Amino acid sequence: MVYGLLLLLTTLTVTATSCADAAEKGILNVPLAQLDIKPAQVEARGTPRGTLTIAMHFALDPGWLDPLEHSYAVTQQMYDYLVHDAMIKPMPYGYVTYGLAEHAELAADFRRAAFRLRPGLKFHDGHPLTTADVKWTYENFKGAYAKIFHDKLEHIQVVDDRTIIFHFKEPFIDFMDLYNGGVGGIGWIVPKHYYEKAGRDGFKANPIGAGPYKLVSQEAGVQMVFEAFEGYWRRTPAAKTIIVKGIRDPAARMAGLQTGELDLAFGMTGKLLPRLMSDPNLRWDPNFTGPWWLMFPGYNEQNSPFHDKRVREAVSLAINRRFLVQQETQGISKVWGNWISPENRDALQGPDAPAPEYDVAKAKQLMAQAGFPNGFDVEYLPFPPYFDMGERILTDLRAIGIRGKLQSLEGPAFRAKIGQGRKGVPGNRTIVQNIDPRAGGSKANIAVYAVCASTASFICEPQIESLWAKHQASRDLAERERLVKAIQRILLAEYYFVPIYWNSFVHGIGPRVLPEGKAVSKYWDTLNAPYPWPWEVWEVKADR
Amino acid sequence: MKKYVLVRALYSVVTLWLLVTIVFGLVRLTGDPVAMKAEAGADPAYVAQLRQSWGLDQPLYRQYAGFIGRLLRADFGHSFEKSLPVRDIYFERLPNSLKLGLAAFLISIALGVPFGMLSALKVNSSWDNAGKMVALLGLSMPGFFVGLVLIIVFGIQLRWLPVLGKGGSAFVWSAPSTWLTFWFRDWNHLVMPAFALGWYFSGAMLRITRSGMLDVLGSDYIKLVRLKGVPERMVVAKHALKNSMIPVLTFAGLNLLIMVNVAVVIEVIFNWPGVGQLLYDALSNRDFPMVQGVVLMSGLMIVLLNFTIDVLYGYVDPRIRLSR
Repeated sequence: MVYGLLLLLTTLTVTATSCADAAEKGILNVPLAQLDIKPAQVEARGTPRGTLTIAMHFALDPGWLDPLEHSYAVTQQMYDYLVHDAMIKPMPYGYVTYGLAEHAELAADFRRAAFRLRPGLKFHDGHPLTTADVKWTYENFKGAYAKIFHDKLEHIQVVDDRTIIFHFKEPFIDFMDLYNGGVGGIGWIVPKHYYEKAGRDGFKANPIGAGPYKLVSQEAGVQMVFEAFEGYWRRTPAAKTIIVKGIRDPAARMAGLQTGELDLAFGMTGKLLPRLMSDPNLRWDPNFTGPWWLMFPGYNEQNSPFHDKRVREAVSLAINRRFLVQQETQGISKVWGNWISPENRDALQGPDAPAPEYDVAKAKQLMAQAGFPNGFDVEYLPFPPYFDMGERILTDLRAIGIRGKLQSLEGPAFRAKIGQGRKGVPGNRTIVQNIDPRAGGSKANIAVYAVCASTASFICEPQIESLWAKHQASRDLAERERLVKAIQRILLAEYYFVPIYWNSFVHGIGPRVLPEGKAVSKYWDTLNAPYPWPWEVWEVKADR
Repeated sequence: MKKYVLVRALYSVVTLWLLVTIVFGLVRLTGDPVAMKAEAGADPAYVAQLRQSWGLDQPLYRQYAGFIGRLLRADFGHSFEKSLPVRDIYFERLPNSLKLGLAAFLISIALGVPFGMLSALKVNSSWDNAGKMVALLGLSMPGFFVGLVLIIVFGIQLRWLPVLGKGGSAFVWSAPSTWLTFWFRDWNHLVMPAFALGWYFSGAMLRITRSGMLDVLGSDYIKLVRLKGVPERMVVAKHALKNSMIPVLTFAGLNLLIMVNVAVVIEVIFNWPGVGQLLYDALSNRDFPMVQGVVLMSGLMIVLLNFTIDVLYGYVDPRIRLSR
């Protein structure tokens, strides 16, 4: 008996060692850049049970099921995590973790990247997932950041069914960042054989992937029904069925939670939050996403009142952030000193970005010194549907003479305006209240909102441009981090951006979700994720 | 008569063409849908590709020609927001709207017509006052208010009825077994939205029934019937009711179309997956093909209804067809 156990133990050890060896065996055989990719946590297999019904706060788009046309919107990743799987992706145990790949390498000159797939991977239809699918996905990808991937690529070398090497024409320093499933779509692998057969529309209507859930049915814009894929490599999904509904009306989502028709509802911040918090049958998670911040389009024009740093500083001083946090989020959110989420890499926080002070007297003084003792009129553009928050900020600003007219736009219309930068917001007496829980490190936020080249940027400062140019040219990751932090310091010190608070985008949870009590917050452990993925870990009580 | 029908048909086609042309132009005044989809910081190449795949890189006249060409093949294009063919999505939603609209229509008839008749027959009595009160409440209490009250009372407090969606039943065009079962399943999901939608129209229905009935009851031929000694019950049932129903039915037909096509608020509150909510989503996302498709289909229904009414009028009343 003892001999038998010893033999078994030896066999297991040898197997584990040889697996680990296989995973660690080099591919590129050149000096490598240091990568911080956490190993995948393969969990025990069980039996899926119960139905988890989720309410999203907008209509569902079947296009979200197709990673090849991945948009920039972070929402699409919710569906990536359901149906598909990525080579590397953010998980609760690391921002970059191994997914379909069990090993990755990046050459020190950033001209080659290699991956080895884990053995035995299969799509939902049982077809094996190989490097041919990885290559095909890369070559046919048309979504966010596609141009940079295609422009940089020299060729793709398929070494065998499990090993693939990407060769780049020039150093591609951001490759691993952008290939990470948390940022874009190209790393989520699509089945070549099925996509070619089903076609673009057919795939969106009935997608197949290698993720933990299979799509069973969908009504475009209304509902998607997913069923556990028991062959998923990492673990058996805990919930047998996941139903996602698109419910735009927050009161309807609240009612659904209260009647038990929903188990999880997104976007419960605002007027309904006290009702959610006071219901003894319901729970909530603060779900910190990104900080709110104010921007001043056209501040760099001489005739803009915001051209004077003192005015921008006065705006910051006039906002009673603690009161705002209390009113808007029942005190859950945190007054914050940076406009980039602390969960995003290289973001300034703590003593580097202290919480801004509230001092109306000083703000008035600065306004007078800047030549605006009686204030001025502005347009105020809040991120929808946070119009109450906008009104509260305007009330604060009125105390120092800044009189604002609030423009309430629908979400897509607001995003369209902001996305076009100065073209979308042409005046120079406008304050924009924005939030953007963007993944990909702080550099991603800066690239969009703080440099001249971005169409969405209101900032064009020589000092920042010079640092940014150095950052883009640098291959030294430590130097890049320093430069990104230096840019943030300028943005904050000059009040180009005025941070308000780190927002909690509260999610409501029904009584059927396990575990009981506050332990349910474990589902929100994935860094920089506005939604609680991965989905295979969600447990619910068995259906009645 | 043949010429009359042909002329009416031509009018209908011209009306539809004008409608689609106006909608084609109007949606384009709302702004650039690509900017909406692209998000802040999107690569210009991605934006250009999106514009190209949606055909928005073409000059306006080409977009229009393509749109009309596709319409003639019953192809409404691809939804910008929902990524699938508009026709598929629209016809997936239409049965849901018809189910809700028909149920609300029946409720509005069931409440409006009997109370309207009662008001007219017992004019200036307490019955009439009660009827007037019902009509007033129907018209002044908007559907969304009634809907929210219903949700709080019957959904959240009493837990008698579900508050979201239409339930599991679906009308699947490719599955004939669902064509009949769809209408009779998940009635518990239908009760509240149908009542909230029908309630508003019942007030209007009550008023029009009452006034129609009063007009007929005061007419000369009814006086003659009464003078002949016909019992009052027969006067009402056989002679007054049929004639008083003509304006009611015309009005009810239009109401039904409105309930099917633009029950936006009720559909949003109850998350009912109908055509109204589809239009609302499309409008707020500048989904040009979807807006065009939904408006065209609604317009087509109204034009067909009007055409049918015109033809029937022409058939029953020769003066109408001769005068045109």
